[in-house]
Amino acid sequence: MSFLAGYVQYIGSFGLVLIGLYIVLVKTNLIKVILGINLIDTGVNLFLVSVGYIRMGTAPIFSQAEAAGREMVDPVPQALVLTAIVIGVSVVALALSVAIRLYEHYGTLNLCKIRELKW
Amino acid sequence: MVSPMLLIAAPLGLAFITPLLGLLSERLTRYVPAAAMAFNFTLGLLLLPRVLREPWIVETAGLRPPFSIHLVAGPLGVGLSLLIALVGLLVSIYAIGYVREGPVAKYHTLYLLLLVGATGMVLSADLFNLFVFFEILCISSYALVGYRGDRAGIESSAKYLVQGAIGSSLILLGIGFVYGLFGTLSMADIARNVDSVTPMKVFISMAFLITGFGVEAAVLPLNAWLPDAHSSAPSSISAILSGIAIKAGLYAVARVVFTIYGADTMPMLVLLVGILTLLVGEMSAFSQNNIKRLLAYSSIGQIGLIVFALGLASASGVQGALFLVVSHALAKALLFLSVGYMIYRTGSMEISSLYGMGRRMPVSSLCFTIGAFSLVGLPPFIGFAAKFTVIRAALAGAAPLLTALVAIVLLGTVVEGAYFFRIVQGLHFRPPPEGAAPEQTDQYEAPVSALVPICLLAAIIVAVGLYPGVLTKYLGPAAMDLLDKAAYIHHVLGV
Repeated sequence: MSFLAGYVQYIGSFGLVLIGLYIVLVKTNLIKVILGINLIDTGVNLFLVSVGYIRMGTAPIFSQAEAAGREMVDPVPQALVLTAIVIGVSVVALALSVAIRLYEHYGTLNLCKIRELKW
Repeated sequence: MVSPMLLIAAPLGLAFITPLLGLLSERLTRYVPAAAMAFNFTLGLLLLPRVLREPWIVETAGLRPPFSIHLVAGPLGVGLSLLIALVGLLVSIYAIGYVREGPVAKYHTLYLLLLVGATGMVLSADLFNLFVFFEILCISSYALVGYRGDRAGIESSAKYLVQGAIGSSLILLGIGFVYGLFGTLSMADIARNVDSVTPMKVFISMAFLITGFGVEAAVLPLNAWLPDAHSSAPSSISAILSGIAIKAGLYAVARVVFTIYGADTMPMLVLLVGILTLLVGEMSAFSQNNIKRLLAYSSIGQIGLIVFALGLASASGVQGALFLVVSHALAKALLFLSVGYMIYRTGSMEISSLYGMGRRMPVSSLCFTIGAFSLVGLPPFIGFAAKFTVIRAALAGAAPLLTALVAIVLLGTVVEGAYFFRIVQGLHFRPPPEGAAPEQTDQYEAPVSALVPICLLAAIIVAVGLYPGVLTKYLGPAAMDLLDKAAYIHHVLGV
C-alpha cells in the first residue's frame, strides 16, 4: 500500500466529493442534502490545496533567508480555496434560509413530499 | 479614454450602495439599476469602435499577463456586455413600477449583482475569475427566484440552488485539474500550452468544466431546474434569467471549448444534444397550459438551437449562434415583460385567462405578438434573420446528415409556431373568459413605465429584423474572437 501514500490526499478529497454526491442523490431531507453539498465543497477545497502542495515545502515568503534554498508551496491554490470557502459558505447560508422558508410553507423538509412543480 | 473595468466596477459599487440608500429612502433605490445600466450601455457604445480594431487588455494589478488577473475587452466581450446592459436597462425600467412588494432595496441590489456577474463573465480572461463572477450571477439568481417567498418560488429556488451548487463544485474541480496540469489560470496561457499534455487529461478537465457550466446553460440532461425557476420568479426576473443568465452559461461553455481547448471540429454528440434539447423543449412547451412555463420551455428549445449552431464549429455557425443569442434575449425579454402585467391584472397564469386580451390590453398584446412571431422566425423580425443564418451555415457543407438535422430543426420550429399561434389567436380573436373584468381601456393597460421598455424592445426587434446589417457587421469579429485561438493568445500574451 505504500505506493498510495503519495496520493492519499487525492483519494481523501475525491472520497469526500463522492460521499457528498451520494448524500445529495439519496437522502430526502433537505438539511441532509445541504450537508451533502457542504461535504462536496470540502472535498473540492481539499483537492485544490493538495494540487499546489509540496511535501516538506515552506511558505513562499522571500524575505526569510534560511528558507531560500528549500522548495515552496504554491500559494495560488490556497488563495483560490479562500475564495471558494467564502462562496461555499454563502451558498450554504442561502440554502439554509430557503430551507427555513420551505418548512414554513410545507411543514416538512422531506423532498419527496414537496412536489407541486413538475415537468 | 475610460477603462472597460468600469463596466464591472461601476455597477458593483452601485449595487453595494443600494442597501445604504434604501435606509434613507426605498423609493430612490428603484432608479439605481437603470442608472447603472444606462452608464454601462453608453460606455459599451464608446468602447466598441476601439475594441473592434484591437482587444483592450486590462491589467488589474499592474502586471503583464499571464500574471495577476486581467480582463479582455474584445469584440465579443464588449458586444455581449452591451446586450446585457441593454436588456438590463429595459428590464430595470420595467421593474420601477412592477416590483412594489417585499424588500425592494434588496431586489435591486441582487438584480444589479446578477448583471455584474454576467458582465464580468463575458469580460474576464482568467478561469477562476470567470468562476467567481459565475457564482455572483448564480447566488443572486437563486435568491431572486424565491423573491416573492411564495410556495412555488421557494420550492423552485431550492431545486435550482441544489443543482446549481453541484454544478459549481464540478467547475471548481475542473479548475483544480487545469491548475494541476498547466500551473496557470490565465485562459490565454492555458490555451497556449494545451497541446503539451495528453488528450485524456485535457478531456477530463474539459468534461468537468462543461458539465458545471452546462447546468446554468440548461443543456438537455441538466435543465430540470429551468422551467420551475423561470416560471416562479417575478416576470422581470424571468426576463433576465431567460434573456441573460442562461446565455452567460452558454458563453462560458463556448469560451472554454473554442478558445481554451481550441476545438475546431465538434463531435456529432454536440449536434445531437442540441437537437434533443430543442425537441424536448418545444414538445414540452406545446403541452403547457401555464403561460410562463410555456415560455420557459421555449427557452430550452432556443438553447438547443444555439447549441446546435455552436456545434457546427464553423465561423458562420458561431455567427448564427451569436445572432440567435441576441434575438432570443430581446424576444424572450419582451415576451416575459408583456405577459407580466397580463398575469398581474388577471391574477392567473393559465393561457385561457388571457383570451380576449387584445381588446383590453392592446399595446401589450401587440408587443407579445411581435415577440412571439420573432421567436418563431417570421420574416420582418430579428428571429427570422437569426434562424436563417443558422440554417444557411448548417447547409453550407451540403453534408447529407446535416441536411437531415436541419429538417428536424425546422420541425421544431413548426411545433414552436403551433403553440405561439394558438396563444396569439387566443389573445386577439377569442372572447374573454366568463366573469372577466369588463373592458376598461385606460385602466387595464399596463402603466407607462412598463409600456416604454416593452415598446422599445418591440421596436428594436422590428428595426434589426428589417436592417440586419447593423448587427451582422459586428457578429463576424465577435465570432472570430471566440474561434481564433491564435489571435486571442497573441493579443493577451503578446507572443
